[in-house]
Amino acid sequence: MNQTQQSMLADGTSIADLVNPATREVQVRTLGDPEIYQLELQRIFGKTWLLLGHDSEIPKPGDFVTRDMGEDSVIVARTREGEVRVSLNVCPHRGMKVCMTDSGNAHVHKCTYHGWAFKPDGEFIGAPIAQERMHGEIIPKEKLGLKQARVHLYGGLIFATWNVDGPSFEEFLGDVKWYYDLLFDRTDLGLEVLGPPQRFIIHANWKAASEQSACDGYHTLTLHSWLGEIGGFGNGDLTTSMYGVDVGSPHGHALRCMPVVNKFEKARSFEARGLTVEQRLAELPPPGVTPDMLPQLKRKLTPDQLRILVDSPPQVAGMFPNILIAFVYIPQKGGDPLGMCSLHTYIPRGPDKLEFVNWVLADKTASAEHKIIMRDVSTRMFGTSGMVEQDDSDTWPHMTKSARGAMGRKMTMKYQAICSKARPANWPGPGLLYDGFTKDDTQWNWWMYWRELMTAPQEASVSADPGERAERRFKVASNVR
Amino acid sequence: MTAAGAVQTPGSLGTRIHIGSQIYNEIAEFLFEEAGHLDRLDLLKWADMLAEDLVYTVPMRLNRPLADQEASVVRSVKHLDETKASILTRIARLTKTKSAWAEDPPSRQRRLVTNILVNATTRPDEFSVVSYLLLTRNRFNQEQYQLMSAERTDTIRRTPAGLKLAFREVLLDQATLGMPNLAIFL
Repeated sequence: MNQTQQSMLADGTSIADLVNPATREVQVRTLGDPEIYQLELQRIFGKTWLLLGHDSEIPKPGDFVTRDMGEDSVIVARTREGEVRVSLNVCPHRGMKVCMTDSGNAHVHKCTYHGWAFKPDGEFIGAPIAQERMHGEIIPKEKLGLKQARVHLYGGLIFATWNVDGPSFEEFLGDVKWYYDLLFDRTDLGLEVLGPPQRFIIHANWKAASEQSACDGYHTLTLHSWLGEIGGFGNGDLTTSMYGVDVGSPHGHALRCMPVVNKFEKARSFEARGLTVEQRLAELPPPGVTPDMLPQLKRKLTPDQLRILVDSPPQVAGMFPNILIAFVYIPQKGGDPLGMCSLHTYIPRGPDKLEFVNWVLADKTASAEHKIIMRDVSTRMFGTSGMVEQDDSDTWPHMTKSARGAMGRKMTMKYQAICSKARPANWPGPGLLYDGFTKDDTQWNWWMYWRELMTAPQEASVSADPGERAERRFKVASNVR
Repeated sequence: MTAAGAVQTPGSLGTRIHIGSQIYNEIAEFLFEEAGHLDRLDLLKWADMLAEDLVYTVPMRLNRPLADQEASVVRSVKHLDETKASILTRIARLTKTKSAWAEDPPSRQRRLVTNILVNATTRPDEFSVVSYLLLTRNRFNQEQYQLMSAERTDTIRRTPAGLKLAFREVLLDQATLGMPNLAIFL
């Protein structure tokens, strides 16, 4: 295969040098540079699996939502046969956006410009005035459908990628799927969304939010210290919640497995350490789980997975490149075992803008009452008005602004707090394991995978003009050291 | 998951209480006072204007076809979904902690309340009130204002302790919000 690579930025900086493995530093310019951003749209958002929603958003044939893969709008639709398909929302005729609404039900998506029409699976139905053959004779009809992304459903979550020949979703997720299964594949019917996602704009680079999602637990101590300042939320001292096992991945995925003993004792006022897995499941089930689901959990999960789920469940997790998962224990006053299940993706909207998309989830089989409480807790703590995430939305824009300054952009972000502890004893799960106080390791893995993708050889575009190809060859040649 | 369109407050009779009448004037004054407390960050004074059984929501909006505008209002997951107790918790975070960074330093807010229309309800002590809100918000040295426009549908109740807000639904004009958080009240 003809492969070429732009490995330098216009000012002569090597892309690889933006992330320095020797000192574990990342240049602040990565959070604002338009040239880097354009490369990311191709090399990150054009290559990896991206989260688009949940299949409970489009339960019936013809149901659709419009979502985004990088800056590309896509139609996520259920076909008559019940399959979920993801089509580029760009008319092959003149490039017009085909579907202009956020959601609905349609078996025909008709472009409002010239009327070219498409099925939910993207197939081209035809153009108005059939006898005039307005789509011409040069390209056959079957090649005039909406461009298709490769789709994978995992625990009801809809993922898609433009990298149709690339790694499978399982390969992308790797062995840490073991932990995500504790959240997304633990009950017979799985999760459902409690409504469409909240959406709002933050004037920040998408990576400011996304690298935090790779398990920056440390910021909670300071940025969210209010949690310890007023009753009902913290333990006074939030430091105890900094200890646990951070699980990392060479693909930048990360999960914070946080022991729940102290929350247990606070909620129920009793000693939890001696309890069996069974007793804990019944007394204080994991976020989103109610006691009636326990037989399902036991069927779906291995005893080792169950033990992690009750001892140290993944409460905050990230998935590369732009996903945050928050399945947080928030026992209610009176000790009711409750949590919230919130899922974000950060859509890039330019070097200094992101769209925050936030779904609220619950197990399908949870009672209506339970779902309402989970929805209320989630809305009040996370998302648009969430008392926790308000403060994050205030932080990321300032980091992004730092990347504009002639001096600021030359500064570095440092990931030099390194876990020095051995593999946690008696830990049955896979992955890169970092025991003890949450440190920078999983976020560093995130940046190293970003670097890997940003410097990976790119397939030469077939349609690139000869001049562009020659220029690329020149750039490759000039980069040989 | 989406429910019906523009909200009707409970028991609204659709009987207009005319502009300039005594009740109308009291209600307009209540809304202006309320806006002033919020603009000046007198959050506890604002909380005193809220009924104990308050229902306060900010639904989401979706882009849907003209023929299906009912579905443009989402009342399943909302942007804000509050009771008086949860609002008091938000106020405690903003006023009693030293780390509510989203509003510290605080934004400068201005609530312009207009187009007030009052209707009678089945309860003589409750009034159904529609008002328009234009909120400007400015933080740090931003040269641009963050703007939010909305239609509010309220139930305002007469009590021995004065008028109280018992119900509010804020219908925003943005599907994707242009401000980074709702650390403020509408």
